[in-house]
Amino acid sequence: MESLLQHLERFSEVLAVSRTTHVRTWDPATVRRALQWARYLRHVHRRFGRHVRIRAALERRLQNQWRLEGGSGSSPVPGLTNFQALERCDLRLSLRLLENRALGDAAYHCLLQELFPGPGVPDADEETLQGSLARVARRRSAVHLLRLSGCGENSVLEEDFMLKTQAELLLERLREVPRAEAEGPNRFLSTLWDRLPQNNFLKVMATVLLLPPSSPRPQEEELEPGTPKTLGDGDQELVRWLLAKPEVMTAFCRTLPAGLLTSVAGRHPELSRVYLGLLTDWGRHLHYDLQKGVWVGTESQHVPWEELYGKFQSLCQAPPPLKDEVQTALESCKAQDGDFQVPGLSIWTDLLLALGHGS
Amino acid sequence: MAQDSGGFSSDYQFWMQKLSFWHQASTLETQQDTCLHLPRFQEFLRQMYEVLKEMDSNMIIERFPTIGQLLAKTCWNPFILAFDESQKILLWCLCCLINKEPQNSEELKLNSWTRGLLSHILSAFRFDTKEVGLFTQGLGYAPVDYYPGLLKNMVLSLVSELRESHLNGFNTQRRMAPEKIRFLSQVCVPLVTLPDTEPLVEALLTYHGHEPQEVLWPEFFEAVNEAFLLKKISLPTSAVICLWLRHLPSLEEATLHLFEKLISSERNFLRRIECFLKDSLLPEAACHPAIFRIIDEMFRYALLETDGAPEVLAAIQVFTWRFVDALEKQNKQLKFTLKTYFPYASPSLVMVLLQHPKDIPQELWHQPLKHISEMLREIVEDQTHRSYGDPFECWFLFIHFGGWADIAAERLVMSEAEPPEALLWLLAFSHGPRDGSQQRAQTMIEVKAVLSHLKRLLRSPTLLASDLQAAAAESPDRDPRPPSCQQLIRRLLLNFLLWAPGGHAIAREVITLMASTDEIGHEIAGFLDQTLYRWDHLCLEAPRPRKLARELLAELRAHVQPRPAARGAAVHAAGSLGPRDETSSSW
Repeated sequence: MESLLQHLERFSEVLAVSRTTHVRTWDPATVRRALQWARYLRHVHRRFGRHVRIRAALERRLQNQWRLEGGSGSSPVPGLTNFQALERCDLRLSLRLLENRALGDAAYHCLLQELFPGPGVPDADEETLQGSLARVARRRSAVHLLRLSGCGENSVLEEDFMLKTQAELLLERLREVPRAEAEGPNRFLSTLWDRLPQNNFLKVMATVLLLPPSSPRPQEEELEPGTPKTLGDGDQELVRWLLAKPEVMTAFCRTLPAGLLTSVAGRHPELSRVYLGLLTDWGRHLHYDLQKGVWVGTESQHVPWEELYGKFQSLCQAPPPLKDEVQTALESCKAQDGDFQVPGLSIWTDLLLALGHGS
Repeated sequence: MAQDSGGFSSDYQFWMQKLSFWHQASTLETQQDTCLHLPRFQEFLRQMYEVLKEMDSNMIIERFPTIGQLLAKTCWNPFILAFDESQKILLWCLCCLINKEPQNSEELKLNSWTRGLLSHILSAFRFDTKEVGLFTQGLGYAPVDYYPGLLKNMVLSLVSELRESHLNGFNTQRRMAPEKIRFLSQVCVPLVTLPDTEPLVEALLTYHGHEPQEVLWPEFFEAVNEAFLLKKISLPTSAVICLWLRHLPSLEEATLHLFEKLISSERNFLRRIECFLKDSLLPEAACHPAIFRIIDEMFRYALLETDGAPEVLAAIQVFTWRFVDALEKQNKQLKFTLKTYFPYASPSLVMVLLQHPKDIPQELWHQPLKHISEMLREIVEDQTHRSYGDPFECWFLFIHFGGWADIAAERLVMSEAEPPEALLWLLAFSHGPRDGSQQRAQTMIEVKAVLSHLKRLLRSPTLLASDLQAAAAESPDRDPRPPSCQQLIRRLLLNFLLWAPGGHAIAREVITLMASTDEIGHEIAGFLDQTLYRWDHLCLEAPRPRKLARELLAELRAHVQPRPAARGAAVHAAGSLGPRDETSSSW
């Protein structure tokens, strides 16, 4: 067992090196050995997929490594994150080496011989590596062709599936982040927030929060029914983190379109309460411009009336109970302000009137 | 390979020109042309690999100075890369160009260029925006990790757009324009066999727009049909039915494909024929009258072409059984009237024929038999009923439900009573549809004579093969029996052997005497196979006859050489149940 774990660690290193210029020193024998290790680990994946103890030990080792390196390297995520990754480790290594121009000609020649033995090689019970590589190429071309056929011209559709894909990836990672320390997912998300383009990240988060509850990871669960359920619910981790990060939550509620926020609020009551709190807070910052007869902000960061109105309007069209909660919140704000019936005195009176709920 | 090289060189020139044409402009026409040529081009790539793998890179460049252009243009064509195994073969071809130890700058350059193409194939067509790239990288994913998921979501997006429902709150309701759907179907031609795109193929097949004309590209249908027939994809039955309803050439192709399988399969194995039929989905698809009538029309041609080959008759019968089963399974209440399936037949006759004998008590079987016979006879012999078709049409309808004729034969042999005229006529008609009424009357007299002889034997405690021979003997003062009548009498005798208490003891001897030619040997095997199949279908309890029929069939199969159903070829068989050398005129 210990030798297997060491093997795993050494292969992680090989994988890390495979995309650096260090491969300049690799000779054909090194290439062959690296591929042998990868094949061995894939074999381990196949052999021990249903073996809970061995699987758990391997996962633990991978997570330890992640925790040690976590956030310190160029990426917050190591090369191998979980047991499942072993299934594709030979494919990953091959692609990295094929794309690495630092690999010498002799080593490259050997790599091709190993990867593409040509036709007539008997297929074992599993797909051959050359089959997997060909499928990589085929899938990429398929993506290109489908995009050519219409997804491309239609940026809405493209955004749709790009976001869904990113959301699934984020959710998968959230479920893998080391569990040992309670702060794991939170620290991981904060690191990502600091490093990644925030606009895109906000949209991805919203998509994660809207994914059907049981949608991702069906394959793995089917494959290994005996696996202990150590994986948390990624979207709950995300909700917890958002609640703990007011500045992110504010950006979330400011940046995303009203309809999307309404959907998120409908699905996650904890977030909807914070959202409503933010909206009322933003409303309080506006004052009535008597001359123009409109509600305006005093500072540039204040939320304009139109935006506020749009967000409330969308919420009021949501199915109950969200719709009723919003209505109640607006009514109670109006009452606190003095329950005015005429416009221009309380923003809540005016909002309710504009929304067609004025009494 | 040397003698092929001329052909290969001209192919090389042809494809070089094609690739340049496709490469110059990516228009709808060039893309269509590419899709049309994908299988042939893949074949060319295979040939090229066979040529290249025998040479080193220097030889290759010397022999094919423009190979770089050819391969580069191929590598940049997404249709080719997406098709079947083309990308794999292309990878093999490129591997042949890599020099293990490049000696000079030219060789170094070639290596570097080839490596560029190889990594292009594996990481081609990146389109992620910078943001997406950063995001996935930040999470530690490489494209190889998320392209399957991306493709899946892309396919789902397109599927929901086709079905006008959407994935999440970012999207609004929109209809896909017909020309976009048409283009999508074209793009799917190389993707049909990629499992990831199956939901999209299905959604396209089942998509029903509001346009009067077909929006999907015909080559898309062809590609899907071929992949389905070659079992390269699995589609739900409903999607396959949509395909055949929308593209009749595909339905014809599927039916011909079934015929080819039936012809090349071993003779007299109805169970296997049933499997082929079930596998083909055609009986289920035939629940749609338009599909039924085309398949039925093709069966009719097959029957005419083979002059009523027993194998075709058997296949039509099994097909009809499965079709009726499927009709029942789909809907207890018929969605379409029977008239839509059999437009030229008398509806009341179809109703009676469609009755499953299993649903009627055995002692009452004579009633539908009589009814069928009378109705058929009235139409065939009475000129005023010509609207229900000529005798051939009636016969063609009847043989779909040929089980009834077999039941009639069984009844006649086992009955102690005087043979009813109606049953005799039905048998004579089913075995000789082209006979005139005089000829048919003659057959009926012959059959009646044989039956009365058999009836006496039924009661006899000991039977000899010669007794049966005598029963079947032709009367010297009558005309010789025509072949159809001879065949009918052989059937009666075989039924007698299976059912009569004394028949078992002499069955082998009689069959050996009877099977004077290979063709008759096959006919007997066919009869036994069909009888066993029919008994199973009727859930008939008949342990002793069943056991005997099974044993006789096994022995016949062992001795009559299995061969394709093509008629006419002589087969030499040996052994106890094999055909004998001497011919015996009485059978």
